[in-house]
Amino acid sequence: MNKLERLMNLVAMLLEVRRPATLEQIRNSIPDYRKQRSMASFKRMFERDKSELREMGIPIRVEPVDAFGEETGYRIPKEEYYLPEVEFTLEEKAALLLVSRFASGGMIPLSREASSALLKLSPDLGRSGEEGPLRIPVRFAHPAESPEALSKLWEASVRRKTVRFAYRSLGSPEVRERSLDPYGIYFDRGAWYVVGFCHLRNEVRSFRLSRMDRVELVNPDSPDPDFRRPAEFRLRDYSRVLPWEFEEGTEYQAEVRLSPRIAWWVERDLGDVYPFRCLEDGGAVIKVRVRNEDAFFDWVLSLAEDAEVLSPPGLREKTVRRLEEMLEYLEGEGK
Amino acid sequence: MTDPAARLRRLLALVPYVLKHQGATFQELCEVFDVSREELIRDLNLIFMCGQPEYTPADLIEVVMEGDRVYIGMADYFARPMRFTPSELAGLYVACSALAALAGSPSDSALHSAMERIRRAMGLKDLSPEEVEKSLEMASPDSREGMLAMLMRACEERRLVEMEYYTYGRDELAWRRAGPVSLVFRLGHWYLNAWDEKSREMRVFRVDRIKDLRLSEERYVPPREREPLSAGTGGIPERGGILVRLRFSPRLAAWAEEQPVFTEKVRNGEGLVCALRTDNLSWLERELLGWGTEVEIIHPPELKERLRERVRRTLSLYEKKRRSRKR
Repeated sequence: MNKLERLMNLVAMLLEVRRPATLEQIRNSIPDYRKQRSMASFKRMFERDKSELREMGIPIRVEPVDAFGEETGYRIPKEEYYLPEVEFTLEEKAALLLVSRFASGGMIPLSREASSALLKLSPDLGRSGEEGPLRIPVRFAHPAESPEALSKLWEASVRRKTVRFAYRSLGSPEVRERSLDPYGIYFDRGAWYVVGFCHLRNEVRSFRLSRMDRVELVNPDSPDPDFRRPAEFRLRDYSRVLPWEFEEGTEYQAEVRLSPRIAWWVERDLGDVYPFRCLEDGGAVIKVRVRNEDAFFDWVLSLAEDAEVLSPPGLREKTVRRLEEMLEYLEGEGK
Repeated sequence: MTDPAARLRRLLALVPYVLKHQGATFQELCEVFDVSREELIRDLNLIFMCGQPEYTPADLIEVVMEGDRVYIGMADYFARPMRFTPSELAGLYVACSALAALAGSPSDSALHSAMERIRRAMGLKDLSPEEVEKSLEMASPDSREGMLAMLMRACEERRLVEMEYYTYGRDELAWRRAGPVSLVFRLGHWYLNAWDEKSREMRVFRVDRIKDLRLSEERYVPPREREPLSAGTGGIPERGGILVRLRFSPRLAAWAEEQPVFTEKVRNGEGLVCALRTDNLSWLERELLGWGTEVEIIHPPELKERLRERVRRTLSLYEKKRRSRKR
């Protein structure tokens, strides 16, 4: 007899018994167990099955068989096993099917757990009648970076557990061991990052998941938190830091005029971070915080003739110089 | 061979599914449980062998496959699936919150109310919504509010849309009509697969580049060819016949190495030589402007000429001031 068949029968039996089933009863009932020659080999088999089912979250209880309490038996209380029934509207079903599609892509923490929850919920998401199941015209084709590391980092931040990992910084071939008190994780433009207090630098920093290796908890065996997350910590203060706001150096404000052709697009991208002033022609003036000028030029010059640096005057001059240098460079190359 | 625990989980959900939806079709069950027809039949045959002690025909679960439909009886004890484990519940909650963030606000009254129902029915003791909010963030990839929901509706109802779209490849903003087929999320952006009326072809559009969108009353018949040929590099035209070769300086080499748009990356001393294919150079001019003197154009020479023109045009924005203090 097939093992799955045996497990199904065991669950079915323990759900239906009126009184807890004794080992003897279980052995005499289920064909696979009956076939075992000795009580000992049956017990081994049953113990293995029981622990597998418990690992899946099936509540197998051990209880006295009768009021005398001399003999114990096993049962699965229905009220603990059954998923409460939930009635969803059609829109809610569609939304949850979308979540199911999303989770199966593996791009979020605990995606495997979410998928398994949604599988259990599937009877409540189905649509009776002739229409068949709802179809969702959406796909998530994002390659999963490393679902295990992602889940581990997120859980560590929720449980306040210090982690350690090997990290390759951008632009440096060197791999360094880091330890970090993770405060939270964020996803931006296709990549996951973890933010936390870095013990190497003694400050709060972001790390990109794709550059991490061998993520592990520093104190896996202790259930207690390893650190406290500062009450004033806000993930947003880190997740929306733009490339030209990184690095040391003094911060100043720059004004950039955007043409009507792209102002809407830049506003969609940065409107939540910087003040926008709309102009009558459909363009806009945006006030940007700058610390890293190289990164600022990468961005503003890629907008080409659709962006003009207005102020401060020093930055405007540097912009002109950059463009002139580029022209010279191109002409030099051309020879 | 699938993991036995995963298969058991599926069986314990499949029985209650059919009990609740008697006469479900094979196709429906294959879609819902993400299995092939053969696997499904194997599952159903296994269920058919299970039941209550004595296991006489009267004790076994009844499985009837009639034509294309499936019925299950005599299995009241499996009327409901198994409860969530705490981490499953947390995972589901995280997935819902993350999707709500990613999709902007749109579909999301339904998503929020579904989450609320789940929370009320199952309780969520170990994890507060505030904790999820504080520890996890997904930037919504800059689409106008409600746009995704509108596009999703257009896909479902097969409605033509009119959209003002910024074509990055040609650096051009124009109105066009399209028949949305599906939405895809990849590399941090939402993409729309749609039948493009003008080219009479399936095309990929990046949702954040749709400036304005109107749902028309017209319906369209989706073409046979459902998926566009390719969208691998995310909206950048990549099927083209123009081969471009660039040399990145050491400062940008590490960054360039991580960019999926380059099909070929070869170390060159401290720098990196990258190649890509495109059918249009306009978008690349913008990128090159940003990279400045950190990149050398190896090929084609035409790109160098066009870039020079672009730099001159950008410089002319500053011209007035420049002329007044010219050397």
